[in-house]
Amino acid sequence: MKLERNFLLAAVALGALIPLLAYNEYALHIGIMIMFSVMLATSLNLIVGYVGEFPLGHTAFFGIGAYSAALLSVRFGLPIYVTIPLAGIVAAIAGLAIGAVTLRLRGPFFVIVTLCFAEVLRLVANNWIELTNGPMGVSGIAKPAAIAGAAGVQQKLWFYYAGLALVTISLLISYRFVYSNIGRAAVAVRENRFVAQSIGIWPFYLGLVTFVLAAAVGGLAGGFYAHYISYVGPEVFGFSFMITMIIMVLAGGKGTLAGPLVGAVLVVFLEEFLRDFKDLRFSIFGLIVVAVVIFLPRGLMGFIGRRRESYDRRPAGPAEGGAKRNRLAPAIESAALNRGGAADA
Amino acid sequence: MDLFLQLVANGLVLGAFYALSALGLTLVFGLMRVVNFAHGELYVIGGLFGWALTVVFGWNYFLALVVVVFVLGILGYFIDQLLIARVRGQGEEPTILLTIGLSIFIANTALLIVGTTPVTVASPFASKPLFLGPVVITQARLVLVAICAVLIAAANLLIQKTTLGCAMRATFQDPMAAQLVGIRTPRIYGFTFALGATLAGAAGMLLGSIYVVEASTGGIISLKAFVVVILGGMGSFAGAVAGGLILGLTEALWGGYVSTGYVDAIGFALVIVTLLVRPYGLFSRRAERA
Repeated sequence: MKLERNFLLAAVALGALIPLLAYNEYALHIGIMIMFSVMLATSLNLIVGYVGEFPLGHTAFFGIGAYSAALLSVRFGLPIYVTIPLAGIVAAIAGLAIGAVTLRLRGPFFVIVTLCFAEVLRLVANNWIELTNGPMGVSGIAKPAAIAGAAGVQQKLWFYYAGLALVTISLLISYRFVYSNIGRAAVAVRENRFVAQSIGIWPFYLGLVTFVLAAAVGGLAGGFYAHYISYVGPEVFGFSFMITMIIMVLAGGKGTLAGPLVGAVLVVFLEEFLRDFKDLRFSIFGLIVVAVVIFLPRGLMGFIGRRRESYDRRPAGPAEGGAKRNRLAPAIESAALNRGGAADA
Repeated sequence: MDLFLQLVANGLVLGAFYALSALGLTLVFGLMRVVNFAHGELYVIGGLFGWALTVVFGWNYFLALVVVVFVLGILGYFIDQLLIARVRGQGEEPTILLTIGLSIFIANTALLIVGTTPVTVASPFASKPLFLGPVVITQARLVLVAICAVLIAAANLLIQKTTLGCAMRATFQDPMAAQLVGIRTPRIYGFTFALGATLAGAAGMLLGSIYVVEASTGGIISLKAFVVVILGGMGSFAGAVAGGLILGLTEALWGGYVSTGYVDAIGFALVIVTLLVRPYGLFSRRAERA
């Protein structure tokens, strides 16, 4: 907990200092993409890591946020300070509705039904031309008035710090949530649903709270994206955003707050690095997902770190990590074993 | 009335095709409890391979079909033995993620190799229209519906009547007991997945002669197959047929009478409603809840 908090604080502080070292448009653009990715990854991780289900249609909330911000800005001329929070709120409301339906299901059914929702939303965005302008998308989303006439690099700097502020808010909310009683109860449900229920935890309610929170963070990311790119089309509901989100969370390590952050930074750099092989990129991403699932089931942070809430029932690899786990949390380890048994039954 | 009959005929044909494309998925789920998110990509591989053999190399259609079936079977066997076997027994989530990763890889690699151009498998069946009273159907579609029926029946017979099918069912009912009576269960897992991949690839090649095959459509195919399987109940052949027909009819009637824009959304809406009302499918007797 302390390690994670210090890591997050250090990361945010480092993020605030970066522009002093690399003050050019390209570096700032990468920085902005990192901010945006960290928000997306944090959002997905709340569900994958703390509800223990896998929403394959998580782009729904990102897309809803992006479209809300775009339409509010273009149709009603609202400023960015209003549209991005509203994007989060609209996405949260959508999260409440979708979560109330999908969280009754588990495992593959949950995966498929969330995917169905995203697909329906994509079709609506494509076909409801009066509202969304159909496949043409919404373009010309206003940049904030403060930087209207500024040079490119200053605009980027503004977006960088706006992104950093949003990331800080997202991480703060997630941190407060994960280490609250509700968050701990959610972990209990993830580790062993039946034991959690037996001590009076209501899994559906917890799942819904987490879902709404994740949707709100996803919506914030969508609003930020809409204003930065200044164009939103139906592809925001598409699968390519989902792929990058999956990799960020899995490679970084689900169920930790630092993992998705690390994953997001890695993926953005990897995307830049693989820019020369533009189309090969996604093939490589597919292989990374397969490799992570087989070789690194707890992700990079799970591999490096000393995360105690193990999800995997295999014995811990490195001796030091194993000793630490046993000393700190024997109860959780046995719960993890139980969970495996329950899954087989 | 004529329009209605025509729409129903279209819906039934479409439904038979949906059932065919969902067959491999329902088999692998029903027996192995593996939700194969790479199903649509295996379908696309079948279609693209069929196109390469029949159009690029100019092979005979049926010879190409046999080759596609074999290649997909071998591919499926190795996917299971090399990848899925490593996460077997760890619950659902790793397998789901693994097949999602696999589908991302296959789809984008196919896109690199073949490009985005839609292709068609060269078919020996004439696309001449047949007039059955007020209803018009092309010959090729009618032949394919017959092939669908044969394939579905054959797969069902294989599972229910042969020794291999018996070993499969035994393995998935109780792996330990199956091992004790001498069944080599790791191979059975491989064969089952291979059978699922074969069915997916055969569907891709057969339907690739009527519709187009695109490297990027795998996701949609998977999704439609999921819709079919959920409507009919996971793991039942009869359910897959029923689910396919329901989806086909609904889409045809909706497209004919209401609007064409949201045709694709209908299936997803049906799934959302089905999972809420009858989570184990419309026809499944097994009380298997989501």
